[in-house]
Amino acid sequence: MQSIINSIFKNRKLIIYLFLSFITFNYLYNNSSVHYSGFGKTGTFISGSTSNIFSYINSYFNLRQENNRLIEENLELKKIESKFIDISGTKDIAEGKIDKTISAKVILNSINKSKNIIVINKGKLSGIQKEMGVISSKGVVGIIKNITSNYSSIISLLNTDLKINAILKESSTIGSLSWNGLDPRIVQLNDIPLSSSIKVGDTIVTGGMSFYFPKGIPIGKIEDYDNSSLEGYYSINVSIFNDFSSLSNLYVLERTDNDEIKSLLNE
Amino acid sequence: MNREVVKDIILSFIIVLSQLLIFNHMNLFGTLNTFIYVSLFILYKTSYDKTFLIVYGFIVGLIIDLSLQTYGVHTLASITVCYFRERIEKYSFGVNSILPLAMIRGTQITNRITFFLIIILLHSLIYFSLIFFNLEFTLTIFLYTLINAIVNFIIIWIISKLIFNK
Repeated sequence: MQSIINSIFKNRKLIIYLFLSFITFNYLYNNSSVHYSGFGKTGTFISGSTSNIFSYINSYFNLRQENNRLIEENLELKKIESKFIDISGTKDIAEGKIDKTISAKVILNSINKSKNIIVINKGKLSGIQKEMGVISSKGVVGIIKNITSNYSSIISLLNTDLKINAILKESSTIGSLSWNGLDPRIVQLNDIPLSSSIKVGDTIVTGGMSFYFPKGIPIGKIEDYDNSSLEGYYSINVSIFNDFSSLSNLYVLERTDNDEIKSLLNE
Repeated sequence: MNREVVKDIILSFIIVLSQLLIFNHMNLFGTLNTFIYVSLFILYKTSYDKTFLIVYGFIVGLIIDLSLQTYGVHTLASITVCYFRERIEKYSFGVNSILPLAMIRGTQITNRITFFLIIILLHSLIYFSLIFFNLEFTLTIFLYTLINAIVNFIIIWIISKLIFNK
């Protein structure tokens, strides 16, 4: 306490000067229009600059929320897009009926094994069931394998156990897509007969002849092919559109017509 | 209250009154103002309380402001000059500044000129900065400060000679 009093006493000149300056500024500000507007301009400039900096910094803290909002918006747009395509009859992506799309985030991913598995942060509680197809904004990712309440595992396209139905977009020739376990950027398209014409750069899309994916979801494009096989089929390498090493946001597709088709097959 | 203090109070009244009645109405060359009341802060005796000088500056500045309708411009210039006077003294007179009354009698004329000029320049700079209060007029502020300080310096120098030669 004594030291505070001493400090005040020591700096009494400065304190009196600041106090009287404050009174004078107040008098000036309240009475002179020139100074009032001058102070006003300075105040506006300072508040404008600081709030600008603050909002700039604050925007970084909101990036996660903003990202989630954009994912949701993207999802809505995809639904609208698929409906529009259904009505117009043009074939591009998703000719089959997608009733529900669930967005999810990748929490575990690998590309360096022969049987790669991806884990996402949505499970049974979010409406995910086994064998649903999973895509990203660039194309096919895999199929749901196991589910828990809050998580699901996906058999990645980069898993030697997975085979999916695929077609050449140009000619609609049906083949079967699988991975040989070597290069994570290249998958193999088999069962395309030598009689069909193909060329490097042709796009490969899903065939729609499975329960997992509707027709027309992009997979990749032909990187190179070998027609010297004696079995009468091409051996085609397809470079996939997705970069599996940097997957983050995925969409799980739910097709209500699956049950109907399955029940038909069981009869 | 000793005679010295009474004499100084009367002198302050005379200077403030002459500022109000005569010098406030004088505009040399149309634009130059003469602020002889600054001489009060220059001639304030070093033996008096330094803290009171700031309050004294505030009172004198406020009286001038009220008479000229300048809303605190003179007050702010005055209290700033009073606050910095001790440092200006030390800068101008060196070791002599701690001796009572030493700065008036028996000091070098160059020291006195430095002391007078710094106080007048500082006062004029604050005054014109607040009067124009716009960065666009920076050059004008400096020009007015310089001319006004020279004129005020001459007048205040003459006044100080008149008072101390008595």
